[in-house]
Amino acid sequence: MVSPVFLIAVPLGLVFAIPLFALFWKAGAKYIPPAALAFNLVVSLLLLPRVLENPVIVSIGGWQPPFGINLVAGPAGALFSAIIAFVGLLVSVYALDYIKEGATEKYHMLYLLLLTGATGVVLTGDIFNLFVFFEILCISSYSLVAYLRDKASIESAVKYLIQGAVGSSLLLIGIGLLYGLFGTLNMADIAQNIRSVSPISVFVPMVLIVAGLGVEAAIFPLNAWLPDAHSSAPSSISAILSGIAIEVGLYAVARVIFTIFGAQSFLPFLAFLGILTLLVGEMCAFSQNNLKRMLAYSSIGQIGLILFALAIATSYGVTGGLFQLISHTLSKALLFLTAGYMIYRAGSMEISALEGMGKKMPLTCLAFTIGAFSLVGLPPFIGFPSKFLVVRAALATKETFFIIFIGLALLGTVIEAAYFFRVVQVLYFKADITNPPSKDAPVTALITMFIFVVLIVIVGIYPKLVTDVLNSAASELLNRFDYIRSVLG
Amino acid sequence: MSLEILLIIAFGGALLTYLLGKASEKTRDFVAVIISLSMVAFVVCLYGKSPEQTFYSGFLGLDLVLRLNMLSWFFAVTIAVIGALSVIYSLSYIKTREKTDFYFLMMLLVNAAMLGIVLAGDLVSFYIFWEIMSWSAFLLISYNKGSALAAGMKYIIMSIIGSVCFLVGMLSLYVSFDTLNISQIASAMTSASPGHILFILTAFCIAFGIKNAVLPFHTWLPDAHSEAPAPFSAVLSGILIKMGTYGFLLLLYVIVGLKLFLGLGRGLLSFHSILCLLGAVTILIPTFIAMLQNDAKKLLAWSTVGQAGYIILGIAFGTNLALAGGIFHFFNHAMFKALLFFAVGAVEFRAQTRDLDSLGGLAKKMPVCFIATLVGICALIGVPLTSGFVSKWLIYKTLILEGSPFLAFFALAGTWGTILYSYKLVHNVFLGQLPEKYKDIQKSPASMQLPIIVLSLAILLFGILPGIPLKVINTIGTSFGFETLNVTLWGITSETGTLNTINIFSALLVAGIIVWIVFRLGAKSVSVPQEDSYAAGAHTPADKYHYTAEFYNPFYRMIKPFLRDVIDEFYYWIASSVRSLAGNVRRIYSGDVGYYVMYIIFFLAALIFVQMRWKIW
Repeated sequence: MVSPVFLIAVPLGLVFAIPLFALFWKAGAKYIPPAALAFNLVVSLLLLPRVLENPVIVSIGGWQPPFGINLVAGPAGALFSAIIAFVGLLVSVYALDYIKEGATEKYHMLYLLLLTGATGVVLTGDIFNLFVFFEILCISSYSLVAYLRDKASIESAVKYLIQGAVGSSLLLIGIGLLYGLFGTLNMADIAQNIRSVSPISVFVPMVLIVAGLGVEAAIFPLNAWLPDAHSSAPSSISAILSGIAIEVGLYAVARVIFTIFGAQSFLPFLAFLGILTLLVGEMCAFSQNNLKRMLAYSSIGQIGLILFALAIATSYGVTGGLFQLISHTLSKALLFLTAGYMIYRAGSMEISALEGMGKKMPLTCLAFTIGAFSLVGLPPFIGFPSKFLVVRAALATKETFFIIFIGLALLGTVIEAAYFFRVVQVLYFKADITNPPSKDAPVTALITMFIFVVLIVIVGIYPKLVTDVLNSAASELLNRFDYIRSVLG
Repeated sequence: MSLEILLIIAFGGALLTYLLGKASEKTRDFVAVIISLSMVAFVVCLYGKSPEQTFYSGFLGLDLVLRLNMLSWFFAVTIAVIGALSVIYSLSYIKTREKTDFYFLMMLLVNAAMLGIVLAGDLVSFYIFWEIMSWSAFLLISYNKGSALAAGMKYIIMSIIGSVCFLVGMLSLYVSFDTLNISQIASAMTSASPGHILFILTAFCIAFGIKNAVLPFHTWLPDAHSEAPAPFSAVLSGILIKMGTYGFLLLLYVIVGLKLFLGLGRGLLSFHSILCLLGAVTILIPTFIAMLQNDAKKLLAWSTVGQAGYIILGIAFGTNLALAGGIFHFFNHAMFKALLFFAVGAVEFRAQTRDLDSLGGLAKKMPVCFIATLVGICALIGVPLTSGFVSKWLIYKTLILEGSPFLAFFALAGTWGTILYSYKLVHNVFLGQLPEKYKDIQKSPASMQLPIIVLSLAILLFGILPGIPLKVINTIGTSFGFETLNVTLWGITSETGTLNTINIFSALLVAGIIVWIVFRLGAKSVSVPQEDSYAAGAHTPADKYHYTAEFYNPFYRMIKPFLRDVIDEFYYWIASSVRSLAGNVRRIYSGDVGYYVMYIIFFLAALIFVQMRWKIW
């Protein structure tokens, strides 16, 4: 039962069981995603101690690599799978009360499909299989962005679809070129033989794949779809998109660059791109008056920081990048979940409409404040140890290049602080409302937010809970030869 | 009594107070006061001990350490006492406002974080507590709403810039020396290159300079301290900015060390003389700006900037007298600035205004506040018999002895300015005629009078017997490597002369007795109502009363063009440039999906072109 195959097969099967289930019990369809994700969470957590010693490799159908498709669950894969399941589970519990109108059955199917795709991307060992799961992830997200069916949502979804389709085509062309060059689709096999062809013929597939994956990973200048999509989607979907989908895209980029191509010389450019993404994202967020758009641009900024940290490519750097990734997932998901109900009660997405929310929805606004403080990197929340590690990694390289970049990244932090604190002030210190009716978010949402808050505070105070796993995940990403050896023998 | 238990009670007490407030207000008030007083008791019991313990090993591979030495103890006792007095003062001040539970939570949280800062034995714990202090102060500054929001934003942005510089400096130390324990870094610093030391010093000095409001980083202080609620203004001015002072002491004397610090650079261009110059300029300019203020709390806030300059000058100057003067001035300033903010806060509480142009004549109506303000002003100016005199005397003495005429001039000019604005404060609020609307103003409540009286007595006590704090400061000085000072209970003896406050006290006492006897033997005085006043020989009728408005108007017109706050305008210019830049960057995301697809394709094409042409990857 504890095998990576079930992490993909069970949710996938349950996706298609949802409409059958709904024939008997209409309202019960919404309980299937939480059940599937709870199963995934348990299996991932059981898998985690095993993979810390040796990656678990499953050959589908018994066909050995490099001919068959295989799943490679190393520390990075199992960690990501656990995070996807955990965040997905909490957001699906949130959605029990949040998603009430519209084609709810289809929502739950697409939601579970999105998370299945994400889990597949992080667990696969075959590049075309990566493409397939990546497409499942993307297509589900295109449809879910349009869920609310108003003008803004449909427009955002169409724009996302067009850009995503362009990205996927580039990805497919890149994979096709690789197949033509090496005759195999297995990641380890390609990695083993990557040096045997001329550099330029490897470069073109690499940039095609990076550009294709980069559209989903929200790297500048490929991320123009993000502000519209994340602000028009229902808040539970924004949480998943910002918290999981773009991180999984970034993981795919990291896997391709580190493991398949081993492209050391391309990394400084990626670091530069990361800082550029960070600064553009934070600056655009600073000029926003719409809360969800502001949070969406903030996601772009954080992805830039994570990309920069990963591109430092030392063990400190990748550990810091992965820690920042987890910190962003937890904080941003919490921010979008709280924003969902705050916007629902206020009736508008404008920040100025949220005046005095601190009195009306005390627990929700407290959760928002904690999420905001965590994202800026203030102790005692999870954002602090992650930022600490990233800055340490940059300074430890002792290269002026990285030191200047981390200076710019910290400038981004100051701008981030400015717009988040502005919102906190609006929530608590604006209108003088005496004794308003206090109608906080429903219990399911509050429990979800509470769990996120607890995790943010606990991991912030005891980062050791995750740093061991992160260290193993970092060394797995960086050591391509160990990866090749464990897959191909 | 372990240090961890102290911090756990401090932080836990804050949370407990908040939760109790949801149940009952009286319990919450009681618990808040008990927690603050217990902090004072614990710190006092720890006098003379030097525990050091690792309270958390393994935070990202680092050990977090708490330790107490004389320097920490001195700061901790000041924090605990001023914190406790502010909490007692808040009991009546906050009673009619909203969000009182949140207020007490933040007050206690700030105090707990400050105690954590001075007890930290390694830089990571220092940073963690520093940040907690910063964001809780931000939330509390914004408490008054309205214009306090902009003040709070200015404060937190500048504070975060400082924290970011601190982070860079701290991690640069970590990367070079593989430890963040303060004592270990101190021994490793001797092997560092001057360039690296300069970088570390600059990074940390920016952080501590912003917190301590040294020119040119002072612009957040006037708004923040005037907009915060009065008891918190006392905490802000009295102790929160002194965390920057503590940082400077730690950095310059513990981490870098006296020899290295004085040896950096040559002559006028050395690090320590630039710091002295910054301190001197910080004394001069803000002191004169304070004179031009019409808001009582803003006047006191600018005064704080000026006095912080004395402290920095004392610390940076590098002799044992200067250090003693600087640290003693920190202690004194905490006391008298808190006292002045309490008094002005009480007036604001009763009169509902801080505007100096409209207040006046409250001396008879609020006598406790009046006498307290007088004592505070005397201490601020440095009148003998108050503790302010001793600290300023030490600073003047060392500046003159070491032959720094410019710095001495700045320090003395600062005192002239202090006299001017102090008199403006006391005249405009308490002297002169009583405006009609304040005829029925009540005295301040008892729980506000208590801290005021305690602080006034403390100022007089330490003015007459300065040896009590000076003994502690002397220990601190010798621990930094200075020669010990000759300190007695009532003064200091040094080669060029003795300061003996008992002699001064006795002389003044005798003079006072003589004056009193003469008055008793002279003609009986007639009691006249306050409204019965004369000008130029004629009785002034009630509707032509001379209120105190536009004090120093001629001087104001003369000086105002020179005292435009160019630094503040510069910072606002930077902020608005960033805002317009951000607005323009946003236009990249124009909304036209054709452009977006073009970005993707051009990105790809550019990468392939660059590689084919220049082959850099």
